[in-house]
Amino acid sequence: MEGIGINLPLLIVFVINFIILFGLLGIFLYKPVLKTLDERQARIKESMEQAEKIRQETERSEEEIKAHLEKARKEGQAVIAQATQIGERLKEEAKDSARQEAESVISKARTEIQRERDKAIEELRTEFADIAILAAEKVIKETVDKKKHRKLIDEVLKESTPFKQK
Amino acid sequence: MKMGCGCSIKILAGVTIILLVLLLTGLILGPLGSSLLGIKTPSFLNVTKPHVELPSEGIFHVSGFSITNTLIASWLTIIVLIGLVYVCTRKMKLIPGRLQSLAELIVETLLNFVKGVAGEKHARTIFPVVATIFLYVLTNAYLALLPFFGTIGITGHDGTFIPLFRAANTDINLPLSIAIISFVCVEFWGLRSLGFFRYLNTFFNFGQLRDGFISLFKGKIRPAISGIMFGFINIFVGGLEVLSHFIRIISFTFRLFGNMTAGEILLLVVTFLVPLIASIPFYGLELLVGFLQAMIFAGLTLVFGVIALAPHAEEPAHTS
Repeated sequence: MEGIGINLPLLIVFVINFIILFGLLGIFLYKPVLKTLDERQARIKESMEQAEKIRQETERSEEEIKAHLEKARKEGQAVIAQATQIGERLKEEAKDSARQEAESVISKARTEIQRERDKAIEELRTEFADIAILAAEKVIKETVDKKKHRKLIDEVLKESTPFKQK
Repeated sequence: MKMGCGCSIKILAGVTIILLVLLLTGLILGPLGSSLLGIKTPSFLNVTKPHVELPSEGIFHVSGFSITNTLIASWLTIIVLIGLVYVCTRKMKLIPGRLQSLAELIVETLLNFVKGVAGEKHARTIFPVVATIFLYVLTNAYLALLPFFGTIGITGHDGTFIPLFRAANTDINLPLSIAIISFVCVEFWGLRSLGFFRYLNTFFNFGQLRDGFISLFKGKIRPAISGIMFGFINIFVGGLEVLSHFIRIISFTFRLFGNMTAGEILLLVVTFLVPLIASIPFYGLELLVGFLQAMIFAGLTLVFGVIALAPHAEEPAHTS
């Protein structure tokens, strides 16, 4: 073994050397780097999980917003429909009341007219009677007294239909 | 590339010519050519004849212990490695700088290599040893290619030249020390993960022998004979297995020692025979060899470790 130089003390020193290197590398290389790698891995994992969570939350809130919008739309439609209905009803009512008023006005006008007409006819009749009396008086001077005349004319007028009926 | 083409071709041609001239000068005027052609080698090309010394040479002695040039080289390796690593990992941040990235690259590559073989569970146990072996062997090999290795030195007692630095891997004690550590670690992992008796069981399968004796007591002769026979064969195989674990130390040692020493001798001889630039390709080769040897040493330790940690698929048969 001397030929290739195996030497126990040197071997032991080399073993110690290796152990020293092992320890120093452990302290200065493996431990810090592995720690950092693990930390980074944990961070990446965490942030990815967070991102996933945020994504899910966003999705959920989007859906919520959509649902809200849908609800609001439906409500709005309902309101519009109701409003249209109310408007329709109001219109109908207004129409009805207008018609009724118009009818009442017309009927009132009609009765008024009737009344006016009757009055006019009455007046005309009296006037006509007076004129007739006057004329008759003038024709038959004092032959018949006034009362008799009146009665006579009234009878005539009653018989003459055009003024009696409408 | 196109723009500076003429210029770069000129430079390339010039460099090639210079290299060729250097190569030819070395080839013709160096010891190889001069001995073939009968020309006397000029003194400036006369490289000292390499003399190969397998044991490392002591530079000085500290109370009877001789500090050898390979030991100095291995200290240099440790200093360089730790210095580099210290600079790289001084300020660890979550967002790495350049130096930290280098350290992370090294660690992560090695860790992934270990994980690929050992799996997630055992990777962290095996990793430090494997990585240290790899870095140590690699740095030893690469530092040895630097010019001051084998050139700066002192004159010994009998007038021979003793280099101050010599490739640490070419001292048999260093590969042997790593091999022993590798062996100890592998056996330790095996013992720790399986416990003494179960680990022993991975070598020796006593099951069949026991079954044989049980059969003997029951009076069944034929199964008893075969059981006892195979039982002894199993024990013999177990002995071989144990032996193979020790042989690993030797194969580890001589693989690294042989490759590295051969590489060094190759470089010396080439540099002696053809001075000047002819040895450059061999330096490239040595870079490859150094990397490969580091990889093989670390990789085999890893594989043996995994085998020791994860029990064999064939569990000892308890039922006949």
